[in-house]
Amino acid sequence: MSEVEREERAARRKFFIFLLIVAIAVALVAIGPKVLDRYTVNILIRSFLYAVAVLTVDVLWGYTGILSFGQSAFFGIGAYAAGLMFTHIGFGPGEALAAIVLGIGVAMAAAWLVGWISFWQRATPFYVAVITLVLPIIVVQLLYSNPQKLTGSSSGLVGFSSFPLSVEGWFWIAGGLAIVFTAIAWQFVNSNFGKVLMAIRENEDRCRYLGINTTRIKTGLLMAGAAIAAIAGYCYAGFTVVVAPEIAGFVFGTELVIYTALGGRGTLIGPVIGAIIIDLTSAYLSGNLPFVWKLIVGSIFVAVIVLLPQGVAPIIARGARTIMGRFTAGVLGTKSSTPVQRLKPLERDASQVGFPMGAVPLRIEGLSRSYGSLRALSDINLEAQGSEIVSIVGPNGAGKTTLMRCISNGFEPTGGRVWVNGAEVGRISPHSVAELGVGRSFQNTSLFASLTVGECLRLARYRLERPSMFSYRTDLGLPEATLRILNATGLDAQLQDKVINLSHGLKRALELSVVLATEPTILLLDEPTAGLTKTERILIGEILVDLSERDGLCILLIEHDLDFVRSISSRIVVLHQGELLLDGTVDEVVSSDLVRAIYSGEQLTNATEDV
Amino acid sequence: MIALALDVISSAAILFIISSGLLIIFGVMKILNFAHAGLLSFGGYMALTVTQLGWSPWLAAPFALVTGFLVGALIEQTIMRWLYARSLDAILAAWGLGMILVQLITIAYGRQIQFVQTPLSGAITIFGETYSLYRLFLVLVAIALGIILTAVLKGTRLGLNTRAVIMNDNLAQALGINSAWVRFLSFSLGSALAAMAGALITPLSSVNPNMGFSWLISSFMIALLSGSSLVSLAVSSLVLGGTQVLVSTFINPVAGGMTIVVLAAIILRIRPEGFVNE
Repeated sequence: MSEVEREERAARRKFFIFLLIVAIAVALVAIGPKVLDRYTVNILIRSFLYAVAVLTVDVLWGYTGILSFGQSAFFGIGAYAAGLMFTHIGFGPGEALAAIVLGIGVAMAAAWLVGWISFWQRATPFYVAVITLVLPIIVVQLLYSNPQKLTGSSSGLVGFSSFPLSVEGWFWIAGGLAIVFTAIAWQFVNSNFGKVLMAIRENEDRCRYLGINTTRIKTGLLMAGAAIAAIAGYCYAGFTVVVAPEIAGFVFGTELVIYTALGGRGTLIGPVIGAIIIDLTSAYLSGNLPFVWKLIVGSIFVAVIVLLPQGVAPIIARGARTIMGRFTAGVLGTKSSTPVQRLKPLERDASQVGFPMGAVPLRIEGLSRSYGSLRALSDINLEAQGSEIVSIVGPNGAGKTTLMRCISNGFEPTGGRVWVNGAEVGRISPHSVAELGVGRSFQNTSLFASLTVGECLRLARYRLERPSMFSYRTDLGLPEATLRILNATGLDAQLQDKVINLSHGLKRALELSVVLATEPTILLLDEPTAGLTKTERILIGEILVDLSERDGLCILLIEHDLDFVRSISSRIVVLHQGELLLDGTVDEVVSSDLVRAIYSGEQLTNATEDV
Repeated sequence: MIALALDVISSAAILFIISSGLLIIFGVMKILNFAHAGLLSFGGYMALTVTQLGWSPWLAAPFALVTGFLVGALIEQTIMRWLYARSLDAILAAWGLGMILVQLITIAYGRQIQFVQTPLSGAITIFGETYSLYRLFLVLVAIALGIILTAVLKGTRLGLNTRAVIMNDNLAQALGINSAWVRFLSFSLGSALAAMAGALITPLSSVNPNMGFSWLISSFMIALLSGSSLVSLAVSSLVLGGTQVLVSTFINPVAGGMTIVVLAAIILRIRPEGFVNE
């Protein structure tokens, strides 16, 4: 219990430091205009608004791994919404409101389009980067084309009437926006949901198999970022009373990425301070030596990317930590973790569990998969009932893993049909298949290296228990089977350990726990006991038998250990060269000459005659 | 009609020349070279240097090829080779390098628009249509480039090693192929081709430090569509370049300017493998 109390105290202290930093920032912004000269105040207003746009780059790139050169386009859309409205219709409260709503709306629509174009399965991060580079170029093209002489082409719009606010007023608004959005973003990335972003960055594919709709999350994130950048752009136009195509262009978009990289991606505060310092410095320096200044920034940028990929912030954080003890560590560093302290069994009424009555859990008809001219699977027919453990055996290259891939990802098969719990699996992505009740474990343990054990388990619960976006809980409800594995392996005492530091056996156990935590009705296990000790294998065998007998799960299992297979299976299916050769009870299959022939590599034709 | 056909063919040829360097690097390293725009500009200024030195304008492209190779080799050895494992960082560093290159050019040559001497001026009458001689020359260059690159890839030991690295880097290394050397040569050659392309397009337009950026996105899209195949590159250049010419002619030039990007994005969304394996 004292462990828990200590952690809770640490969490409270972290929140207190967070409030303290916010308070200091508010105080600085409040006194800023009184102590700084007018030129600096003017520049800082711009820097604060850039900092807001930089936040969106950091959440997208630093946390989620989506590199976007296009945040400038959203900033520009917000700015032009104000500029166009105030120039052509005039300024008034109604117009101001209409302009911001329009700006946000158009920016979000553009972001949705970018998401739709970029976030399909197997789209590489480059592709997303290129599309986000295309967006500002298209926006600038449209501005240059100057339809009906609206946009003022390359000289933009100047001198429209705007909010009757003093420079101090704008300073407080811009500084306030920077503080508010930084605080919101900080809460967001440190919430339970924030870990989902990191999981997407680390292993998006695996997220999908856990039932997480990553496409929707990424598109949503892009749209939210677009809205925030548009607000910053709107204020920029309101303050400067100048909008020109440059503020929507990719050069500015690139600068936002540079600020993020130099400040320290994935730290929020680093990029914000980076943006303010660099923008302020360039305002002072670039007048005298414009090209040399850009050359210096470019060189530092390349050097930081190569030598300090995490930017400058972690170094400063480390320095601060040594000076002030552990006080500031949690706030500045990237290590702010969401601890999972307490595991508890799920509270549920019995009616929640179970299957849609009457439907066969898994039915496969004529399933095939070819890679070019190579047929990895051909014409597989298979049915599996609830409470069955079906083992799939066969030599390497028989198509066992391919079969699991075809069941768990609707885009995999090249022919045939699959039904899960009575619903036909069409061309749908793995997260939708997971929603139908399929849980799949992988042959090569592919979890999230830099997440902790507890975070992986919470991630697995995503589909059933949506994590909160702005707070975090430290307790986590898990199904009994998961708790049993965690308990027996001692993983429940290692919830704070990163996956990368676990032993092979524990990684395998966690892999299985995570899949079971998604509460599947059909369980696809790819060599769950490979590399485990005898005791561990026996334990896992017992748990699987329990799951099938008591909870009625339908389990498909790939195994090479025939003793293990024999001890727990209710049925065995033999695959060879992509074809289903045998489907029978344990005794039938084990005593078959065919199986012996396949495994010993004898001539198949002879063996088939014997059967 | 003939003029339009010639426009389509020569535009496709220009796109092919401009994208070939990008494709070599993308094919081997699976990394889009974000320094491509900077290298195109660099090539343009190498052509300008040849003009300023009073050399024959025919030397512009070879000069850019050689200097571009050296610049690429320098970039690969100092920066890129550390980043192949971190692909997003690699494109960011390349982007930064492109910016540095452009700033260095600006400092050395100034920002103003300048002009380069043309090796071939005037027009020729072909199928009863008078057409720019230089654009037709670029068609020949594109064809020659395609043949030479194919010959190198299919006919030499180096090409065999390169194809092995393209197909399976780890396996190639296990077989004793020096993949670091293959990567070094590919990056340098890709940079050389980019610089040569920059020099070759200068007679068609003016020279300024940002000239490369106007070609960047089109060449990215074409490289993404083409994967690592020169045949696909030719097909994509023809389809996209051709559509661009048609849209510019029959609708309007602004829409034409966006055709390549929009069309490529749609094709990739519907058919992620692009023009590969067709």
